[in-house]
Amino acid sequence: MSHPRSLSFKSLLARHEAVLVFVIFFEIVLFQVLGRNFLTERNFSNVFRHSVEIGLLAVAITPVILTGGIDLSVGSMMGLCAVLFGMMVNGLGMDPWLAGSAAVACGALGGGLNAALITRLNLPPLIVTLGTFSLFRGLAEALTKGAESYSGFPDSFLALGNSNFAGLPTQIWVFFAVAAGIWFLVHRTTFGRSFRAIGYSPEGARYAGIPVARNTGLAYVIAGAVAGLAAVILVARLGEARANAGIGYELLAITAVVLGGVSIFGGSGTVFGTFLGWIALAILNNGLTRISDFKIMDQTVASVARELSGLLTGLLLLTALAIGASIKTLAVRRARNQPVPTSKPEPATQ
Amino acid sequence: MNKYFREITVASALGLLLLSLAICAPHFFQFQPFTSRLTSQMPVLVAAIGIALVIMSRQIDISIGSQFSMCAIIAGVMAASGLPLGVSIVAAIGAGAMMGALNGVLVAYLGLPSIVVTLATMVTWQEALRLWQQGRLLNLPDGVQWFGLSQPAGQTVVISLSFVLLIGAALAMKHLSAGRFIYAIGTDAEAARLAGIDPKRTTFGVFVLMGALAGLAAVLNLVQSPQVQPNCGDGLELKTIAAAVVGGVAISGGRGTLWGVLLGILLLANVNPALTHFHQPPYWEKAIQGLVILLAVLADGLRSRKNQI
Repeated sequence: MSHPRSLSFKSLLARHEAVLVFVIFFEIVLFQVLGRNFLTERNFSNVFRHSVEIGLLAVAITPVILTGGIDLSVGSMMGLCAVLFGMMVNGLGMDPWLAGSAAVACGALGGGLNAALITRLNLPPLIVTLGTFSLFRGLAEALTKGAESYSGFPDSFLALGNSNFAGLPTQIWVFFAVAAGIWFLVHRTTFGRSFRAIGYSPEGARYAGIPVARNTGLAYVIAGAVAGLAAVILVARLGEARANAGIGYELLAITAVVLGGVSIFGGSGTVFGTFLGWIALAILNNGLTRISDFKIMDQTVASVARELSGLLTGLLLLTALAIGASIKTLAVRRARNQPVPTSKPEPATQ
Repeated sequence: MNKYFREITVASALGLLLLSLAICAPHFFQFQPFTSRLTSQMPVLVAAIGIALVIMSRQIDISIGSQFSMCAIIAGVMAASGLPLGVSIVAAIGAGAMMGALNGVLVAYLGLPSIVVTLATMVTWQEALRLWQQGRLLNLPDGVQWFGLSQPAGQTVVISLSFVLLIGAALAMKHLSAGRFIYAIGTDAEAARLAGIDPKRTTFGVFVLMGALAGLAAVLNLVQSPQVQPNCGDGLELKTIAAAVVGGVAISGGRGTLWGVLLGILLLANVNPALTHFHQPPYWEKAIQGLVILLAVLADGLRSRKNQI
């Protein structure tokens, strides 16, 4: 796979984030005009309270995608970790904070299984994580016999999901800490920079003395651990641990990452981009539910808006992918034959 | 090592499973329930032929479950509105081919990774269907079930159609140039291009064929019951990919046979009935499926490692 080496591609990337900021701003104005009670403090905390888990998954799989891999198992991992957490607290009477740490450890262990299969045996990440996608969800269903759920957690624990701290939902601070940690890792440490080097060219990274297998594996372990954390936060918000926790979240997380301008081929992208992609997605989904209260249109048309969010997420991902691919083709063409023909670079609008 | 090592291994595993069922639970083989179980697996077989071709060309399609549901509902709605069954069947297959063509354009001509493209189309069709049908069960008119024939005759039609398709596709993969093209681009797209094969067109064709087969599979599923659910294709992608991988289709492309896929389907399809007949809870099915996929790729990985050394 050839990679563009021109400066113009870099500036396009920088512009990608600027475009995202503009899109977010546009969404806010649009929903403020069309929807009801959109720009309120209450709704503002709702947007973030309800999408923290997806945000966590998105920043956690960013390193994996940067290495050129993919992790489809994070949503199922949330289901398994949620069930294990519920069993530890309800069945074994463990302290919820201790059980939460254990759930994170279980997530890291599951990520380790992915990592071992992918890096030690050189198996394709796609099929390995598709297998564990099924395995983790299946284990969660088997442990709960398909229907059981766990609830009755102490209030001090539920506060993690339902209270505010310093004016913002408590869990958003956890997200900020994790996102800042992963940002620091990817963009400010030698270890983290190797993710992009590996995604850019695994062979090249190996010749540069980077322990490719170890570093790639750690990206999957981190993704697993954060999925475990997301499971604990989801349980704290819902007050219930079920086997179906996090179904379909992997798709939303991948959408946020791709929207954020991270190349699905690996090698380029930023954690900040993922963060912006996640915000754009979260506002879109919340804003559409606000339009359902819209009064001028008749009721049937209005009630469709709320149900559009899933469809739009899929279409948005397709559009972002297609635009990303055209930009890449364009950049490759520009790098190949400078002076560029008169064609202008495509504006990366969403 | 024998070229058909994987096929023989899976066949023996299947034989062993059936033998232990024959000893412990002989009523498993009563003619009528056995035929019903076989018939219910035929849509999976048809869809799995498609996914096997996609995997052999070194791509993946996880949107087939959504394509399947969409085609089933399109055929169902058309049949329910009084159109002849033949027209609905053609429409379902055509709709499948069009959905496959969209995947094909994005993957072959825009060079996007098939996993992400089909992830996006999967959720798009799924959500479009939810918006359209709101999860309602669709009742089908009388002439649809078993093509308007008696149940045994309908089952015979479904089973024989699927097997004719399987045999035809297996022979085509071995003897037609189109089949060899698929193996060629799956092994090395660049070498195939230098040999005069158009990898983009072949990949596009494979995705269109996949969509059409998903449509046909949806029809074969539709005729088996008086109703159709908008989520009838959920999980089909996992079932078929698992069957293909277990049957020895290499996920890295270029290797595998459709006979192996058939064996993979029969083996995986017997997991759940076997669990019930051995009086085990059925909740383990998904976990076992995941484990089987991992074991199959593990075997592949170990084999290719051995070949390297």
